[in-house]
Amino acid sequence: MNFNLLTHQHRHTGSVIHHLPAGLKLGVALILIVGNVCFPLAWQAWFLGVAILLILVAALSRISPWFLLKRILALSPLVLGVAAVNAFQTTGQGHWLGVAERSLLCLLTVTLVSNTTPFSGILRVLQSVRVPNLLITTIALMHRYLFVLAEEAGRMHRARASRTFSHTRRFQWHTLSSVVSQLFIRASERAERVYDAMCARGWK
Amino acid sequence: MNAIEIHQLKYRYHDGTEALRGLSFTIAPGECVALLGPNGSGKSTLLQHLNGILPEKLSDDGAVRIAGEAITSPNLAAIRRQVGLVFQDPDDQLFCPTVEEDVAFGPQQLGLSAAQVATRVQTALAQVGLTGFEHRSTHHLSHGEKRRVCLAGVLACEPAVLVLDEPTSDLDPRGRREFKAVLRRLPATKLIATHDLELAVELCPRAIILDQGRLIADGRTVELLADEALMLAHGLERPHILDHLHPHDHHS
Repeated sequence: MNFNLLTHQHRHTGSVIHHLPAGLKLGVALILIVGNVCFPLAWQAWFLGVAILLILVAALSRISPWFLLKRILALSPLVLGVAAVNAFQTTGQGHWLGVAERSLLCLLTVTLVSNTTPFSGILRVLQSVRVPNLLITTIALMHRYLFVLAEEAGRMHRARASRTFSHTRRFQWHTLSSVVSQLFIRASERAERVYDAMCARGWK
Repeated sequence: MNAIEIHQLKYRYHDGTEALRGLSFTIAPGECVALLGPNGSGKSTLLQHLNGILPEKLSDDGAVRIAGEAITSPNLAAIRRQVGLVFQDPDDQLFCPTVEEDVAFGPQQLGLSAAQVATRVQTALAQVGLTGFEHRSTHHLSHGEKRRVCLAGVLACEPAVLVLDEPTSDLDPRGRREFKAVLRRLPATKLIATHDLELAVELCPRAIILDQGRLIADGRTVELLADEALMLAHGLERPHILDHLHPHDHHS
């Protein structure tokens, strides 16, 4: 299991793109995504323009192309799934490539924004546009504990691997399912402890 | 008036485990007390009672009193303002993305203005020696730094009583030394549940020993820890630091 996909690049570089205001980056990203989704495929100039812009941003932000590729590949099954569904529809034949094109541009946009903007900056923008506090808290907690749970899963995986002597597929699935169920229980217990810690500091 | 007053405190978990079986003791303002005992002796359960996290349904029996006030639903917020609880696992306590936001969480809950919150954050970070860490991600700190941010988050609420659960567990010697130095500087009343007997000797003139939810002993730390039979009977051991302690060195 590789949990490096959860890492962010914005901590390691300090390019022009990283220093742009979070609100500006999120605003532009939103416009690009809405445009990618809404504009007809015949407007190829738009899609080409977006692609060039994103490549330019990627270059300026000094994020490794290999990192971007890995991140997009990790998310591409979703994109390809949507495109495949489209390919098998009688009215949608021929458009699957267009769906894949739109989706990949959207993914690249989101990947670039999330890796050039500190997460706390994104939360502050959400707060400033009056997104409900409960939703912001939920997103913040999810982001915070995703890493903790990923590390916990990594530790359990290593412990399991160190005592795994049989490599039959059935056994591997069995142990994987027990790791997942343990992780669920631990996540639930941790959630209770986190809630207690929040209450201890006056959370109402 | 006592800072903490416990009278016949009992608690049973949902699975029937009797965690506390009639504890009684008091702690005076400004005291620093070590809470010792083997795993499962009820230390963490007791600490959670001091902040009103346990029991799930608060009663007005007055088994726990903070500065003379029984912990009840109406005064729960006021009690939590007075009692700062530092949890055992820093990852449970650091739930905000950055150090600054996490330390600001408590003061914001108190309804302070943005300027007051910022002042409290700066003061608390300075107290634990982490000035300049404001924008660091809580996830990417070392274990020792996480511990100190947890403490800063509690100090920012300016509690009169500090309750710490295993504050030095998992810390390397340097982290332990630094954390002890921070604790030594804090004037608040402190109750520290710990297996670190050196910390108990160095910081706490008084110790309370729990086992199986009962109070076993309450007295001067050096005297209790020097009693080898008592230590062994309750899953503890006489710390080596006692052999190197000059009779007049220790605070009494």
